Amino acid sequence: MRWVAADVEMYQKAAEYVDTAIVPLLPVSFGDDMKQNASMAEFIGILTTQLEKQFKGRIFLFPDFVYIKGHEASIKALKEWENTLLDKQFKHVFYVTSDSSWRQQEKELTGNLLWLPSLSLEHMQEQQKVSIVEDQVKQLLSLFTEKWQED
Amino acid sequence: MSKHRVSRRQFLNYTLTGVGGFMAAGMLMPMVRFAVDPVLKGEDAGDFIATPLKIADITNEPQKVNFSFTQKDAWYESEETGTAWVFKNEGGEIVALSPVCKHLGCVVDWNTDKKNPNMFFCPCHYGLYEKDGMNVKGTPPLAPLDVYPTKEKDGFLYVGKAEPRKGA
Repeated sequence: MRWVAADVEMYQKAAEYVDTAIVPLLPVSFGDDMKQNASMAEFIGILTTQLEKQFKGRIFLFPDFVYIKGHEASIKALKEWENTLLDKQFKHVFYVTSDSSWRQQEKELTGNLLWLPSLSLEHMQEQQKVSIVEDQVKQLLSLFTEKWQED
Repeated sequence: MSKHRVSRRQFLNYTLTGVGGFMAAGMLMPMVRFAVDPVLKGEDAGDFIATPLKIADITNEPQKVNFSFTQKDAWYESEETGTAWVFKNEGGEIVALSPVCKHLGCVVDWNTDKKNPNMFFCPCHYGLYEKDGMNVKGTPPLAPLDVYPTKEKDGFLYVGKAEPRKGA
């Protein structure tokens, strides 16, 4: 489910079935890595949309968590997010990002960090794009089902 | 070769009829085309969407087929990918099932659950469907999988809009 009115309505009727939250973490900056951050956002955006399509009934894809790159306060803000989600009966929280700086802070988070090296989809052919994203999604799918089977 | 002299009058006559003829044809041709337009219109597949699957390749084992179509959502037009599980049933008829679980809309897969072979399985809440798309009682889904109307054209499979069926 996504953060749109129709899906939220469905969620409110079937909240007990939706126990997994996905929050994309997207950095914004204005330096040399500005373009790189933009392509990260593109890649993570496509990837999470595909994930949500496959697992629409059990995953809630939340709006992007956007922060200024290198800003220390972002971990605090994210923790607040996390606590709210865990309170609201989301048993599994996944963060999807290409920003490697989160890997050092992974221990502070209860949720699972899915760090994926960003791929620049800018110059790719349509077909190639689709097959690359499909591959990545397939790998993530099994990760989710394994996590679900644990409980 | 006989030497046939063309007079000035004849030459002008020929040229004028020729040019006039072309002009008349230029006017009449589109008119005739408009008049017979319904006949000229090729048979299109209507709302049916072409899939890359050949009819000859359809077996008794469900196989996944992706097809793309454009979807218009207010001012936003996007290329969407649809999926169908296609197979031949015992009667030899082609069946195309929608992969969207009737419970909460996850994507079901064929034969992926080891405990329940030869069934459609939904990984989200472990919903099960028989091969013909009927939901298994006791699992979350309350209705059978939607069915695409199918059509054959030039040896390829065409699918229409998925339609719901009555449940078990």
